[in-house]
Amino acid sequence: MKNFENIDVKSVQEAVGLLRKFQNEKKSAAVVGGGSEYLQLMKVRVATPDYLLNLKTIPGLSYIKEEGGGLRIGALTTLVEVEEHKGVKEKLLFLSEAAGEAASPQIRNAGTIAGNLCQRPFCWYFRSPDFNCLRKGGQVCFTVAGDSRYHAILGAGPSYIVHPSDLAPALVALNAQIKIAGPAGEKTIPLEKFFVLPQVDYKHENILKPDEIVTEIQVPLPKAGSKGFYHKVRERLAWDHAIVSVATVVESSGGAVRNARVVLGGVAPIPWRAPKAEEFLRAKKLDDATAQKAAEIALEGAQPLKDNVYKIGLAKSLIERALLASA
Amino acid sequence: MATNEFSVVGKRIPRIDGYERVTGQAQYTGDVQLPGMLYARVLRSPHPHAKIVGIDSSKAEKLPGVRAVIHSFNTQIPWGSGGLTQKRMIFNNPVRFVGDAVAAVAATDRYVAEDALGLIEVKYEKLPHVLDAAQALKPEAPKIYPKGNLSVGEGRVSAPIKDEWGDLEKGFKEADKVFEDTYISKHVNNAQMERRVSVAKWDAGKLTAWASTQGISNARADIARDLGLPLSKVRVVCKYMGGGFGNKNQAQDYDLMTAALAKATAQPVKLEFTREDDFIGMHGRWASEQHYKVGVKSDGTITAVDFSAVTNMGAYRKQSGDLSGCDFYNIPNFRKVVSPTHTNTVVAANYRAPAYPQSVFGFASMLDQIAFELGVNPYDMFMRNRARLSKGKMAFSSNALEECIVEGAKRIGWNEKWHKPGAAPGPNKHGIGMALGGYPFRLGLGAATIRVNPDGTAHVLVGVVDIGTGAKSTMAIIASEALGIPLGQIQLTSGDTDVTPYSIGESSSRTTSFTGTAVIAAAEDVRKQIFAAAAPELKAKAEDLDLKDGIVFVKADPAQKVPLNRVMRRVEPEIIGRATTNPKWPEGVDGKAFAAHFCEVEVDAFTGHVRITRYVAAHDSGTIINRLPAESQVKGGVTQGIGMALTEELLIDRPTASPINPNYRDAKVPTHLEVPEVEVIFIERPDPYGPFGGKVVGEPPITPSVATVANAIFNATGRRFKELPITPDKILRAVRV
Amino acid sequence: MEEKKRKGVSRRDFLKGIGGGAVGTAIISTGLLDSQKAEAYPTEAIGAARGKSAIGLKVNGKAYRLEVEHRQTLAEVLRDELGLTGTRIGCDRGECGACTVIVGGRNIYSCSQLAVWMNGKEILTVEGLAKGDKLDPLQEAFIEHDGPQCGFCTSGQIMSGKALLMRNAAPTEAQVRRALSGNLCRCGNYNREVASVLAAAKAR
Repeated sequence: MKNFENIDVKSVQEAVGLLRKFQNEKKSAAVVGGGSEYLQLMKVRVATPDYLLNLKTIPGLSYIKEEGGGLRIGALTTLVEVEEHKGVKEKLLFLSEAAGEAASPQIRNAGTIAGNLCQRPFCWYFRSPDFNCLRKGGQVCFTVAGDSRYHAILGAGPSYIVHPSDLAPALVALNAQIKIAGPAGEKTIPLEKFFVLPQVDYKHENILKPDEIVTEIQVPLPKAGSKGFYHKVRERLAWDHAIVSVATVVESSGGAVRNARVVLGGVAPIPWRAPKAEEFLRAKKLDDATAQKAAEIALEGAQPLKDNVYKIGLAKSLIERALLASA
Repeated sequence: MATNEFSVVGKRIPRIDGYERVTGQAQYTGDVQLPGMLYARVLRSPHPHAKIVGIDSSKAEKLPGVRAVIHSFNTQIPWGSGGLTQKRMIFNNPVRFVGDAVAAVAATDRYVAEDALGLIEVKYEKLPHVLDAAQALKPEAPKIYPKGNLSVGEGRVSAPIKDEWGDLEKGFKEADKVFEDTYISKHVNNAQMERRVSVAKWDAGKLTAWASTQGISNARADIARDLGLPLSKVRVVCKYMGGGFGNKNQAQDYDLMTAALAKATAQPVKLEFTREDDFIGMHGRWASEQHYKVGVKSDGTITAVDFSAVTNMGAYRKQSGDLSGCDFYNIPNFRKVVSPTHTNTVVAANYRAPAYPQSVFGFASMLDQIAFELGVNPYDMFMRNRARLSKGKMAFSSNALEECIVEGAKRIGWNEKWHKPGAAPGPNKHGIGMALGGYPFRLGLGAATIRVNPDGTAHVLVGVVDIGTGAKSTMAIIASEALGIPLGQIQLTSGDTDVTPYSIGESSSRTTSFTGTAVIAAAEDVRKQIFAAAAPELKAKAEDLDLKDGIVFVKADPAQKVPLNRVMRRVEPEIIGRATTNPKWPEGVDGKAFAAHFCEVEVDAFTGHVRITRYVAAHDSGTIINRLPAESQVKGGVTQGIGMALTEELLIDRPTASPINPNYRDAKVPTHLEVPEVEVIFIERPDPYGPFGGKVVGEPPITPSVATVANAIFNATGRRFKELPITPDKILRAVRV
Repeated sequence: MEEKKRKGVSRRDFLKGIGGGAVGTAIISTGLLDSQKAEAYPTEAIGAARGKSAIGLKVNGKAYRLEVEHRQTLAEVLRDELGLTGTRIGCDRGECGACTVIVGGRNIYSCSQLAVWMNGKEILTVEGLAKGDKLDPLQEAFIEHDGPQCGFCTSGQIMSGKALLMRNAAPTEAQVRRALSGNLCRCGNYNREVASVLAAAKAR
């Protein structure tokens, strides 16, 4: 690790103020919640901040509250707290499961929900100090000519990372909102709009500005008659990120779909929503044929690289499974 | 002697150092802290093949806290065990793979050392490189060595490696059918939990090296030779060792770098590899491309095997590069040509049963496929062709392979569960598979010293390092059994060349047979002296006495007895027994441990995920000295094989020649969730040459495991996977729901 | 920020090269890929800031006050400063679990926490399990059931097992496997580690 100074931040305002100050002074600064993920980047000197703002010392940012037909989850709430929370388990079992699928127990014990949403990619070119890749300020995404077996098939280029979060697809499927604090105060936006495609910004995975931090996730409870589902495929059942994951929330009535949200993980630089498939499903009865068709539609336009063609079929299979499980 | 006659051999005995291991008190090399100790780090080449034109370390040297920077321009130390067919230095020029060591820095703390690496300016002149072994053998390939890329041997190793017996032409003529195919295995890292680390300290010209080594005697000899020191000036200590599986056999470059840095700074130095260093800086298992031509009768009986292969040794040849997966079958006519080849990639060398799991995968897959094509049940195929003679003519000193096959199949329920390959429709495909394995069993040089104290307790000194096998416990158990002194009264000292006698090194599953035999002989020496001392009191001849449970007694009249501690009062002040043994292996006989493995899998055709639901491992390792760790060895070997079969591979980025997954995350070592309960069966047929009838335990379990899983996947899917690892992407490409 | 000059191209040059223009990735020559490889070890700058703080830790019931460098991890401080070397470092990347300790009743990777973040925290390491000479039942079970092979991962396996048993005195086998799934064992002794935890739960 490069030398740096850790600052235990005491409030959201202080964090934002410091970030602003360092930005003005042209000093590099980063924020950490659980720290498990970012510290690894620092250890191999892919991340080299001068100042590290420890947010865990901010009181009152770790909570899960059930309010007004939804859940409010504080940014510093750990993944294990999301997984084990009684209300989450009762009302949103698949969100609890998604939290429980992340990484390993030790990482879930330290890692926070905001950190999980803001984590950097686990692309091997990005994580290695040997490759000065596009996302790190270099000129190429090494994936294109290199080994792309775990990389994006949708929404990619010029960078081909996949978003590694397990919670993000589940939360986007739930139409969650994310609260962001900045110098001008707080704003709440749909989580879906938080993530950014590389065509827009190939160096960042989200729209967070250098002087902003995430403070809360708001999760509306799905309407009665809804079923949520999360499934993650990976090579090893611990540690591994999704090769492909799928989160679906399907609201049905009278045997037909009223509303469906279908979100894929592990296939795109952002949690990948499939609006056309969702639209197709509206008012349809869920059976093999509709599930299969929806899966086809969801993967339309997929552009695999040489090593990740298999992800297309896998993603389709997962969508089918998820939808049939929601019938 | 039958097993039940023993008092401690053959039981389930917890390790004698269990307390130290569960309390954190066990001191591994990295735990050694010395006053004034510096920390060191290694700088590695980013190029696969390049001449170093210059190194400017002045900026690094000026960084506060930096004490020394060594590299090929100021430090020329040979690394004897680093290359068998070429002279390898600790820093080489040209560098020959991404990861070849370029420089090392010692500084006041590890972060300053790391900072300093970034300040070393190295000027490279790139040279053409080659990554594929098959490509490397083509005449137009860039030459990594003047003689070319086939690793031509001098002395201990050769290239190509050849073996031949019978009459190949005749064998193929006798065949009803001839099958040919190619199988591919990949480079997998040993990935032991303890990163490489070395601590060195010089006192008045004598070097003490705390090494993480599988063999302190070899390490001492290597260090002394490479640094030009007399053996008396080198002390190697390794009390606890955090795994190696073959990649910590001798002295390695980092041990020599540490010694050089400690010398240069006149301070103790600890050199630590990072996990990335560990994956690329040392070695993993050699990858291979195996071609088989197999002649069979229509009932599956093998008449001839023509086997050729290329193994990728990376940039240096540390070990053989051989492939021996055909060893466990009766093959009347045979030819093997294996070509160990250099490429500009990470070095490949020993990893648990070095020549076996990859080629057992190839050959047992081949036989499984032939069985399918002939319409023969794989059980019959393996049973029919199981090894009865070595190299078509030699008997084995003991061989319970048949019982392993019978008992293993019975346990897993082969007859009820086997079905035609790929027959199962639907997304969840069940399969069952089997394969045969084992490992050579030999005898050789061992040494031990036993001291019996005045109170009748005993002290055993052996040079072994317990690399996790339970070797210390095994030696104590053998000593207890051979002496007739209760295990609780035996203290064992190991792992310090200044104190303990020679040991060949804890590799190749040799400890029990080599050093164990010496412990028995040393115990005999002790007993002779005890009986001589006890004879007057018992009014009997020394040769008529026996010792059991710490009591000396007259064999013909056990009521005539005296406790050992009383005998010892007649001896001033202690009894010392010693033995150096080097039993010769008998001519015309071959020694082997054998194994038959069986497993069941469920393949999810939707996701490509393979779940191993049941695993049975039946082993013939002769008498089992200590069942508890012996079973653990089997479980562990199987686990490593599962990783090699399903997930593990060190990946090299083709355009840049850089490894892209040198870490546990992406190299995908199996976790708790990948491995089922491994059911272990020991068929105990005592071997006439092993200590108490024991053969070898450590290496055999990994040998059939990869093929067993692969054959079960074939049974489940009807698809033959000829390239490792069998990952979801490969399965999804081949299998339909 | 000070720039570390790399052979041929500095990181600032890369940034300049990007500018606002389009970045082509369709056709990439190996030459370009090679020139983009980081040639020197990636030290952006040694960094003027050298954060240090005095912190208080309670480890195995004993209070410590010490000065730590901000870049020291909890694992390093336990081992190097407090001499508690029972906490092993296998990867230093949060990928193996050998460094597992318990903080606030939860098992975490001590290699993946800065020591400075632990100010005021209570930490339990493998050295804190035994009461005097009396081993924790879990440690007894690890001996009895051959939990350690090489032993390097053992402390971490035990601490993850301990964290589980603190919350769930009678776990199922599946729960034990899952609770230990953040701890690699390259000796492949998973069966034994799970059996040890289950036996310890029964022994209570």
